[in-house]
Amino acid sequence: DSVAAAALAELNIRDLDDSRALWRESTTSTSDLTSSLCEQLRLILAPTLTTKLKGDYKTGKRLNMKRIIPYIASDFRKDKIWLRRTKPSKRQYQIMIAVDDSKSMNEGDGRCVDLAFQSISLVANALTQLESGELSIVKFGEMMEVVHQFGQQFTAESGAKVFQKFMFDQTRTNIHNLVSKSLELFTQARATSSGSAELWQLQIIISDGLCESHETIQRLVREAREKKIMLVFVIIDGINNANSKSGAPAESILDMSQVSYVPDANGNMALKVDKYLDSFPFEFYVVVKDIVELPKMLALILRQYFQESSSNV
Amino acid sequence: MSTPDKTQIKIRFFTREEDSQLQVEDKPLYVPISLKRFGLSEIVNHLLSTEKAIPFDFLINGTLLRTSIEEYLTANALSSEAYLSLEYTRSVLPPSYLASF
Ligand SMILES: [Mg+2]
Repeated sequence: DSVAAAALAELNIRDLDDSRALWRESTTSTSDLTSSLCEQLRLILAPTLTTKLKGDYKTGKRLNMKRIIPYIASDFRKDKIWLRRTKPSKRQYQIMIAVDDSKSMNEGDGRCVDLAFQSISLVANALTQLESGELSIVKFGEMMEVVHQFGQQFTAESGAKVFQKFMFDQTRTNIHNLVSKSLELFTQARATSSGSAELWQLQIIISDGLCESHETIQRLVREAREKKIMLVFVIIDGINNANSKSGAPAESILDMSQVSYVPDANGNMALKVDKYLDSFPFEFYVVVKDIVELPKMLALILRQYFQESSSNV
Repeated sequence: MSTPDKTQIKIRFFTREEDSQLQVEDKPLYVPISLKRFGLSEIVNHLLSTEKAIPFDFLINGTLLRTSIEEYLTANALSSEAYLSLEYTRSVLPPSYLASF
């Protein structure tokens, strides 16, 4: 039953002292990168300080040319034809870090796990230093579980408690479930967020990128876009010396192919082999081989996203 | 058509065959776990771009695969999170026997 299952799950966690040591170690090893990411995020996430001209007002600074023809056509009734300078709005952030807790992360020499831990402390510490929003951390595999909630303060002890929960032993990687549960959490978090500030919601998924059902995930990714929730997928790559027993060389997800079967003209299922990443369902993803690359890559993709969304306003 | 289990697994193929015509590039592949010998053989032939299909047998850790990948995983207490190395060899079994699995 569920109580017994929960008790079992409780047992299956890392020792707290080990987790504290692990947190310290990964915080120290990424401290330079953390400051660099924090600085870059500060530049990207800061509200644009220049004021913008916005419509539609009865009086103002400059005429909105798009409104002139309707103004004349309406016998001068539609007279909100002026633009005014508006103050930049304050932005609030809710950022969720989702980390793959599945077994595939722990195949090979364990470097994928190290990199996952470093990524968590890097991103969590940078956001905490930035002091401009709420942070949440979740883990996923077959199930998705919140290990640090929005609104909760994030400290070194929270970091250790988060690390405790990662065993990388889940026997499925259900990314569809992750995204669908995350959208629910973001919707709830938006409802409880304070007031008038412009709210940005962002999820950073850290995983080896192995997942099935690309088309159904893609539908959810589109839904996230409509809800203005940005999903960034960080693929930890090429570090598994996958099969040391058989001496397989280190490989990369960039070289991986996917086998599928599609009906041909006669209705027979025909074998198709495509590049795995060609159907990867996330719009924004980066492939990272080394923790050193992460701040730069994240900054690049966030800058691209924020530019795109502010030009759409 | 019924909806089969969509679970996939990362695998790689390798061979001890000397013939360089029979060597595939050593790159990971993401494949359905429902595959059996025939489906795997079809993939290797596809990767080799063979004109006439060559039947292959498959071994995992030296043991001949006689079931689907899925059944192999269950029998060996593995999950689809594993990374499997599949060795292929030219089939030496009589065709009638091959048809049975
Ligand atoms: Mg996995």
